[in-house]
Amino acid sequence: MDASDQMNEPINQNDGLAAEACTQKGTSPADMLRIKQQMSNHCFEMSVQLNAGKSKRSCSASEAERGLPNYISELERVKMVHFNSTLALHRMQMWHAIGEKLKQTDPDAAALMAVGDRCMVLCSKIKELQNENRNLQENITEIQKKRLELKRLTDEKMKEVEELMSNKEHPDSEKYKTLLEKGQATLEKYKKMTTMTQNVLRGILLACKVNWLDDPKLRETALTLEDFPISD
Amino acid sequence: MSVLKPFSKLPNLDTASILLVENEEQVQQGLAEALVEDSAQAVNVRLARSLPLPLENEKTRPRIDLVVFILNLTSDKSFKSANESLKYLDPGYFLGKVCFMVTNARYASGNMGRLDAVRKMAASLHCPLLFAEVQQSPEGVTNAARRLLTILKVASGLVPNTSSLYLSNLTRCTKPPDIDQPSFD
Repeated sequence: MDASDQMNEPINQNDGLAAEACTQKGTSPADMLRIKQQMSNHCFEMSVQLNAGKSKRSCSASEAERGLPNYISELERVKMVHFNSTLALHRMQMWHAIGEKLKQTDPDAAALMAVGDRCMVLCSKIKELQNENRNLQENITEIQKKRLELKRLTDEKMKEVEELMSNKEHPDSEKYKTLLEKGQATLEKYKKMTTMTQNVLRGILLACKVNWLDDPKLRETALTLEDFPISD
Repeated sequence: MSVLKPFSKLPNLDTASILLVENEEQVQQGLAEALVEDSAQAVNVRLARSLPLPLENEKTRPRIDLVVFILNLTSDKSFKSANESLKYLDPGYFLGKVCFMVTNARYASGNMGRLDAVRKMAASLHCPLLFAEVQQSPEGVTNAARRLLTILKVASGLVPNTSSLYLSNLTRCTKPPDIDQPSFD
C-alpha cells in the first residue's frame, strides 16, 4: 500500500533527523525531552494509521458509533489511572529528593530545614487555635441551650399565671352577681318609696298653698325636694 | 489528483504546522498573525483559498498537522468551495486533524439552513466546529487563535499523552436531534 511504504521511510530516517537537530540547535535536556515526547506521539499516530488498514472487518458506521462510548470511557479510565500513578510516583520522587537533600549540610538544606521548622510552628499554632475555637463553640452552645430552657420555663409560668387569673375572676364574680342584683333591687325599691313620698309632700305643699319661703325649716325641706332627682 | 496526505512527509521537530483554507481570504491573515504571536513553540501557518494546493510548493511545504476550513455564514460560496475542497483531503486527516471554523454566525439569523448544513457536515465527518467573531473586536481574533492553538498543539503531538484522535472524540460536533425539524421563524 502506498501509505505504508511512505511511512516506513520516515521511521528509518527519524534517528538521523533527530541527531541533526541536536547538533544544530544545542538544546537543553528539557527541550530534548519535549521533542522526544512529540516524536513518540507522531510514531503512535503513524502506527495507528498502519494498524487501521490491517484488520479489514466490515461493520456499518452506526454499529461502530454504538461501541464508541464504551471504548472512550475505558480509555479515559485507563488514562486517569496512569495519570494518578504518575502523580504518586512524582510525589515519592520529590520526597526522596528532599530527604536526601536534608541529609547533606548545604545552605540549601539549611533553608529547607528552616522552612520545615516554620511549617511545624505554624501547624502547632493552628492546632491550638482550632482547639480554642472548639471550646468556645461548645461554651456558646451550652449557653444557648440554657437560654432556650429558661425561655421554655418562662413560657410555662406565664401560661399558668394566665390560667390562675382567669380562674380567680370567675368564681368571685359569680357570688358577687347575685348579691349585686339583690342589692340593686332593694335600692330601686327604696328609691321609688322616697320619690313617692317626695311627690306626695310637694303635692300637699302646692295644694294647700303653704308659704314655705318664710319658714326656714320648711324652706330647707322644700329646696331639697327640688334638688332630688326624680327617677323614673 | 494531488491529495493532501497526513503522513507523507517527515514531521517537523518542535514546530506545529497549520493550514487555513478560506474562500474569501478575509479572516486568514489576522488569524495567522495572532497564531504566530501567541504561542511559545514555533507555529508554521500556511494560507490557501481552496484545495488542491498548487504543485509548485509541494517540496518546500512542511507536513500539515491541522487543516482548518473557515466558513463565512453570510455567503454561499464559502460553503460550496469548502465542500469541493474536502475531496482533495486524504481520509487520514479526518481522524482529528481537520477543524471547521464558522464566522459571522450572529448575522446568519435569516440563514439557519446554512448553519444546519454546516453542522450536519461537521457531525458526519466527526470534526470539531468552532464559532468565531472576528469582525467586532481584535479580541475575537485572539480568542479564536487561542482555541485553534489548543487543537493544533494536540494535533502536532506537543501535548503528552493526548493524540488528536482522542481529542476529536471529546470535541466533535454532534448533530442535535431536532435539526431536521423546521425552526421557530
